[in-house]
Amino acid sequence: MGVTCVSQMPVAEGKNVQQTVELLTRKLEMLGAEKQGTFCVDCETYHTAASTLGSQGQAGKLMYVMHNSEYPLSCFALFENGPCLIADTNFDVLMVKLKGFFQSAKASKIETRGTRYQYCDFLVKVGTVTMGPSARGISVEVEYGPCVVANDCWNLLLEFLQSFLGSHIPGAPAVFGNRHDAVYSPADTMVQYMELFNKIRKQQQVPVSGIR
Amino acid sequence: MADVLSVGVNLEAFSQAISAIQALRSSVSRVFDCLKDGMRNKETLEGREKAFVAHFQDNLNSVNRDLNELERLSNLVGKPSENHPLHNSGLLSLDPVQDKTPLYSQLLQAYKWSNKLQYHAGLASGLLNQQSLKRSANQMGVSAKRRPKAQPTTLVLPPQYVDDVISRIDRMFPEMSIHLSRPNGTSAMLLVTLGKVLKVIVVMRSLFIDRTIVKGYNENVYTEDGKLDIWSKSNYQVFQKVTDHATTALLHYQLPQMPDVVVRSFMTWLRSYIKLFQAPCQRCGKFLQDGLPPTWRDFRTLEAFHDTCRQ
Repeated sequence: MGVTCVSQMPVAEGKNVQQTVELLTRKLEMLGAEKQGTFCVDCETYHTAASTLGSQGQAGKLMYVMHNSEYPLSCFALFENGPCLIADTNFDVLMVKLKGFFQSAKASKIETRGTRYQYCDFLVKVGTVTMGPSARGISVEVEYGPCVVANDCWNLLLEFLQSFLGSHIPGAPAVFGNRHDAVYSPADTMVQYMELFNKIRKQQQVPVSGIR
Repeated sequence: MADVLSVGVNLEAFSQAISAIQALRSSVSRVFDCLKDGMRNKETLEGREKAFVAHFQDNLNSVNRDLNELERLSNLVGKPSENHPLHNSGLLSLDPVQDKTPLYSQLLQAYKWSNKLQYHAGLASGLLNQQSLKRSANQMGVSAKRRPKAQPTTLVLPPQYVDDVISRIDRMFPEMSIHLSRPNGTSAMLLVTLGKVLKVIVVMRSLFIDRTIVKGYNENVYTEDGKLDIWSKSNYQVFQKVTDHATTALLHYQLPQMPDVVVRSFMTWLRSYIKLFQAPCQRCGKFLQDGLPPTWRDFRTLEAFHDTCRQ
């Protein structure tokens, strides 16, 4: 597990989501990256149930339950700005039992799917973010395996991102700045995905046809 | 016989040439005499100068003339024994009393012998050059059996001394932690952790470093049964490259008389990898080249370079 940067790639002008993804993957292949199967990250939102809310007198918090195909045996549960719990996949069953406390928000499931590319020690995942039937945007994840401290290799990651994203270079993810030289963990990646999904949810839905 | 004849013909040219040399020498010394004497007393300064220049010019002309004469004669003399394969020594074969002075046959034997010697010495030096880098136990074992006293003293240092050297180096670099273990007898194995960047397994024989493997900070360095894994390489290309460079460094830092200095120099060099992902290449100024950061560190200046930028 190395340092990972998750960012959103804007849809190219005059193109739809799928065409932009194809453009990106073609650039990666030109660079010499090798295709290595697919990946999927999904996220479901839960409210704290109304009954518990009243008795404790606190504002309702949203909890996100996420899965990442890179960690097929794990399930991640996160609060915004809050702790991140890493559990076994059985956690999903537990959530069903906790219906009284956490209720699944309707039609809230958002996920990104796409191809996984390997280039030297870099792992690049370009995915289409979909909510229900509609494609909402493009996610680009770049992982640099050998390094474990985010701030050490940010400049290096930036140079790599420049090589195939061109002018759409993201700023340093918020999780990078939190701890100075702490070891990067998979939870940090999930926090980045959660933030990306929240950002995309808030964007106005662009009607795009032809995805899945 | 032809040689003898031609030499006889040229004898006259020889004597002429010798007298030409004598003439040349005397004319050259006249030039220097004239320069030494300088300007003689004359009524006017102009007259003095004129006379001196004319005299000097005459002298130089005669030098030139004598030199030309000598050159002409030297062409006539030629090179008498050029056509014999052994040059002048070939004339020895003309000696009529072989039995009393067998110089020529002895000379030929000596010549053959020295030729063979040179050839074999060349082969031996080639072989020895190949062997010099191999310092494995096997090699040492063979030579030790033959000459039990020839074993280098630096290979039989007491383990306590090795421990001391290593712990001193450990204290020298705060960002580097060295863990020493001896799983297989007296030979030490070091697990060096450099910051949060990389881990290095160093296999020692006494104070000589035999092998090193560089792995990522998050990679497993132990085998399933809990021993240090000294055989498998890193999963990451960048650390495979650094392993190659570290092996180069082992061969670069060599000082058989002071093995502790070698270990310290190697560790100092290794410590420069603390900025493996942070230092751009000193030549091209970039971080990445073919997907790899600058993996080379200069042995003297410790500056970072890409493998292809270092020349």
